[in-house]
Amino acid sequence: MYNNMGPQPGMPRPPGNPEPGPFGNPFTGAGSGFIRGGLGAYGERILGSSSEYVQSNISRYFSDPQYYFQVNDQYVRNKLKVVLFPFLHRGHWTRISEPVGGRLSYKPPIYDINAPDLYIPFMAFGTYVVLAGLSLGLNGKFTPEALNWLFVKGLVGWFLQVMLLKVTLLSLGSGEAPLLDIVAYGGYAFAGLCLAGFAKIMWGYSYYALMPWTCLCTGIFLVKTMKRVLFAEVRSYDSSKHHYLLLFLALVQFPLLIWLGNISVNWLL
Amino acid sequence: MTKDFPIPPVVFPTSGSSPATANVQQRRVPTAPYQPPRQSSASSSIPFIPFEIGSAAVSMPAGPFDGTIASSASFGRGVSASFEDEEPLLDELGIHPDQIWKKTRSILNPFRINQTVHKDSDLSGPIFLYLALCLFQLLAGKIQFGVILGWVVVSSIFLYIVFNMLAGRNGNLNLHTCTSLVGYSLLPVVILSAVSLFVPQGAGPVRFVLGAAFVLWATRACSNLVVSLADGGEEHRGLISYACFLIYTLFSLLVIF
Repeated sequence: MYNNMGPQPGMPRPPGNPEPGPFGNPFTGAGSGFIRGGLGAYGERILGSSSEYVQSNISRYFSDPQYYFQVNDQYVRNKLKVVLFPFLHRGHWTRISEPVGGRLSYKPPIYDINAPDLYIPFMAFGTYVVLAGLSLGLNGKFTPEALNWLFVKGLVGWFLQVMLLKVTLLSLGSGEAPLLDIVAYGGYAFAGLCLAGFAKIMWGYSYYALMPWTCLCTGIFLVKTMKRVLFAEVRSYDSSKHHYLLLFLALVQFPLLIWLGNISVNWLL
Repeated sequence: MTKDFPIPPVVFPTSGSSPATANVQQRRVPTAPYQPPRQSSASSSIPFIPFEIGSAAVSMPAGPFDGTIASSASFGRGVSASFEDEEPLLDELGIHPDQIWKKTRSILNPFRINQTVHKDSDLSGPIFLYLALCLFQLLAGKIQFGVILGWVVVSSIFLYIVFNMLAGRNGNLNLHTCTSLVGYSLLPVVILSAVSLFVPQGAGPVRFVLGAAFVLWATRACSNLVVSLADGGEEHRGLISYACFLIYTLFSLLVIF
């Protein structure tokens, strides 16, 4: 019985034991190596093509965003004076240009008061949202949803400003201004809005005096800026057509800013 | 059976090579599988599974031979780690209460903020402060979990963009550090929320004065930390402070109104 049992269980055991060892390890090693190498090559290809695509698009549609943030305290103060009191700006409105590599470019904001920046528009927009929330709270209508709605309203207003400036430039035969320049010019309107909003919080009746003033100042600022942009871009200068379009640009500021300045959750108001 | 067993060895020394080969094969075949079955059965039982898991994990960097040795070693380590060298649960989760307490205490002093403890950014403290703020708002009757979380994220991204744009090529503030600093500097707003629970809703000027004080405190804390921990922000301290001021004013609006 002992001898009979011994060889019979032993026969199937030997072929079963070595199989999982050599079968599992090479498969795991080969699989991991293949997966790793494949993912690496494929990932590099994807990243390379996407970075090239993004860079080409960035260079095509946007200038360097870094340019618009080269500011300091002095520039911010002086620029705010120019935006809020454009008629007191005694200097010229022309941007300072410098030849770089044969291509015309302008000096950064830190060296040129007339250069557009994006810091003031962003901060003005943020201040506008904060003042809107404060105004809502004082009227007892503050809710986070209302504030989010006013944030969207501000963005829509900014977008309308940019579209207005873009269409004006296109209709005047010049479409070469960089998009970020237009975004910056459109964003300066919020600086005046913040002033009017703050006055409204302090004393309600001063709003009705300051709002038209703000619209007028913003209109003047935009007209003078757009005139310089046109002068820099357009060779021919059709005075009558340009004057009418610039006047239209200034007049549109009144309804647009009044709409933005009316802090309420109603869409049309 | 018994007679057959002793007959082959008797024939082996006396006869030729062919019977000897046959006898050797017969004898070897039963003997060789006798020991391997025990080993195979032992390894194929319960302990075999962790061996395979260990070898599979370790074999990726090393070869099969090294994998075999490493598997037993890792198995041993696993056994010892589960009993002796187990790390505390909070350390494994990446939460360091003592570090959180030191950072929070550094912000509690509004006039002298210790920047060195904030060099290692973490998100556990901000999450804790966020939950505390939501809890106090809940006690005030406002359910604003999603709003506060969304505003924290948007504020961090906003400050991250503004700082790195202002700092230019030298800016090295990463989003993780920025979120950590914005979150920790939310402590004054949390305290404002707690204090506001005891101030009547109708007392407008008192709430505004309180809000202004705590917002300035938070602004000072956040701007000081951001400017000191990241490069390129010293010359733009005022501009960065204004961005921080906007952020914490928004949060204080949630508390005051």
